[in-house]
Amino acid sequence: MRRLLALAITVAVGWLVVSAADPSSGPLRTGALALGFALIAATVTGALLERVGLPRVTGYLLFGMLCGPYIANIITRPMARELQLVNGLAVVLIAFIAGLEMNAGRLWPRLPAFLRLTGTIMAVTYAALFGAFWLVFPWLDMPEGLTALQRLAIVAVLSTVVASFSPTVTIALIAESRAAGPLSELTLSVVILADLVLIVLFTLAMQFVRFAFGGAAEAGLLVTLSWDIFGSFAFGAAVGALYAFYLRHIGREVPLALLTTCVLIAVAGDALHLEPLLAALAAGLVVENIAPPKGDLLKDAIERGALPVLVVFFAAAGASLQLDALARIGGIAVAVSALRMFLIWAAAKAGSAYAGIDPDTGRLVWMGLVSQAGVTLGLTLIVASEYPTWGAVVQTLVVALIALHQFAGPVLFRSALARAGEIGKMDEEADDGGEESR
Amino acid sequence: VTREPWARATARLRTSAALGLLPATAPVMVLVPLGMLLGRAGGGFIGEDALARLDAVTSIALATLGVFIGAAAGSKHDGGRRLAIASSMEALITIASVSAAIYVLLEIWNVPIPLPYALAATALGICASASAAPPVAPGHEGARAIAARVADLDDVVPIVLGGLVIATAGSLGSHPGWGVAATALVGLAVGGTGWLLFDASQGAERNVYVLGSLAVLGGCAAYLDGSPLLAGMAAGWLWALTPGDADRIVRAQLAKVQHPLVVLLLVIAGASLEVTLAGVWLLAPYVVFRLAGKLIGGYVASRIASGIAPADLGAYLVRPGVIGIAFSLNLAQVAPEGAGALVFAVSIGAVASELLTLFVIPVPHSA
Repeated sequence: MRRLLALAITVAVGWLVVSAADPSSGPLRTGALALGFALIAATVTGALLERVGLPRVTGYLLFGMLCGPYIANIITRPMARELQLVNGLAVVLIAFIAGLEMNAGRLWPRLPAFLRLTGTIMAVTYAALFGAFWLVFPWLDMPEGLTALQRLAIVAVLSTVVASFSPTVTIALIAESRAAGPLSELTLSVVILADLVLIVLFTLAMQFVRFAFGGAAEAGLLVTLSWDIFGSFAFGAAVGALYAFYLRHIGREVPLALLTTCVLIAVAGDALHLEPLLAALAAGLVVENIAPPKGDLLKDAIERGALPVLVVFFAAAGASLQLDALARIGGIAVAVSALRMFLIWAAAKAGSAYAGIDPDTGRLVWMGLVSQAGVTLGLTLIVASEYPTWGAVVQTLVVALIALHQFAGPVLFRSALARAGEIGKMDEEADDGGEESR
Repeated sequence: VTREPWARATARLRTSAALGLLPATAPVMVLVPLGMLLGRAGGGFIGEDALARLDAVTSIALATLGVFIGAAAGSKHDGGRRLAIASSMEALITIASVSAAIYVLLEIWNVPIPLPYALAATALGICASASAAPPVAPGHEGARAIAARVADLDDVVPIVLGGLVIATAGSLGSHPGWGVAATALVGLAVGGTGWLLFDASQGAERNVYVLGSLAVLGGCAAYLDGSPLLAGMAAGWLWALTPGDADRIVRAQLAKVQHPLVVLLLVIAGASLEVTLAGVWLLAPYVVFRLAGKLIGGYVASRIASGIAPADLGAYLVRPGVIGIAFSLNLAQVAPEGAGALVFAVSIGAVASELLTLFVIPVPHSA
């Protein structure tokens, strides 16, 4: 009741302030208001939804969508843009947390099985989506006069983007529900491995598109790919080592140092054309596996820092969901979404059997692979900016798919984690570890 | 105990001292010059873009400082009413002496600043009235505690007046009274939200509510071109007065973010400094009349609260703290073209006032 009343007051204050300000008097300073409003109202919404068994993440998204520019417009477009600025930092922090949860000694023996499962899922999903898009191409509202080669190239890019997963949402959901166990570990490994495959596939597909449309293919493809993957890992590992050194020998103002590390990875990664997600993952891996911190310094800092970042990240995602795209091609999007989900389910089932994954875990893993978010959108924006005519069609379809998967994905994955009995296990493991070390 | 070389080296590097977080080294002395080196007046590492992005952080930091002041004003102490009156009188005397002197000098010198002289002079007076209690030798805790209390309470009147100045200088200039009322009401409403949420939550969720409340306080005020200090003070005051643990929870949470925010605020102030003729002109009178105002105001306050406050109260209040700089940054947010000279005078004046505390030393005695 107190939360509901607080939510009502917060929304009323936000609405009154946004209505009272006079935009004609100059640019409005929206950053702090957007941040604070999202933090309080989205967290309350998440807490309320959790009571009915839905993930908190869905509450944050729902809040962003309802208060965003397409519905209530309390979070106006400039405010939504301000919130998006947190995204780079959020992706880095989320990936850093994922790295901290990956113990190499524990994962290494299972890597071949994970690789087989990821390979099967990617191959089956990609091949089936390629065939499906080729068949329905005439109904996709693409420009006329495309050659067969050009159609092939467009289908290749579209299939790559639609087949992608969201490591960020998966990791965030595991972190937010404090989940630990075989399903969390398997899903996390699959989405990260799939992300690496996606970078390679997307680069190749774009080279094919450039060739098909008569543009100059990018020289030094191998160098670019190597830089994307190995450069990101090397940079992240170096930053992780520095941070571990700081924790060991200075250990003061740990949250501030964590924030600075994440900002460094986000900003430098952007400037050096690295993959911030991979770099942050590597940083977390180094801290966890090479120089684990003593005591609870880092755990406390992350517990304090992670939730606000997750809340703002998902509220921003909700506020920027392009509902108009969903309204325009909702029918096609729902059909493609259903096909994609079916393919992931079938591929995960077959892949789990092939890789020898425990059937109980293998049966649930597909539910962690439905989400799509920032990575998918980022790839789509690259396509749309380079090829505005047909790229816009791809963008509309993918944006509508993201809107659907942003809501369906977290609900499915949380349900899977609950069925696997892994929610809250991260804290139990940490407590057990603490007991043992004592 | 033999210590490793690394441990010895890093112990020296313990960033506290370097960041000015030890009481022995006032943050202003280290961080404002550091910000200058990194900002416009120095290497340009913190450029216009970065400063624009940090605008939201500034608003949140201002609101946080306001909450501290409001919570201190709302908490009950022995002799509270007399101390509150004495502190307010001390602040008003400092504001009046600095504002009047600066106004006359601005008129005489015809200093080129794109703000009405009366507004600029009042703003400088408000900045000058802020003070932080200095550390004193052990054994004189009574005088120090009273001086610290006065240093907290003497910010209340300037923040209310500052709300009016900010509203006048910003887009609410045609209805400054409405601006102050709206900002205070927003502060109370957000305070009410926090009161409902803090007790009902715990752990990381509670952290989010506290951080969110600070951001909404700073954000609403910034959106309305108002004073985040005033909004924060209203909320802090409400949390101190309402039943429950809101006050204690907020203090505990703020203790964790206080240092990073103060560091950021002072570095931002340093980074945004531009050396202008008007700023240099204003600096010396600002420092001199601030010192005079503090000593006279402190004396009058000690008479009003005689028996509680030490007779040389003014000497304890020379240390400027960060509120003055915070207010000048707030003015720069709403009137960016006009406030540059004021930010310079107040920031460098704060460094100079810190240096003055080497010479203006309270006489050791108990209250």
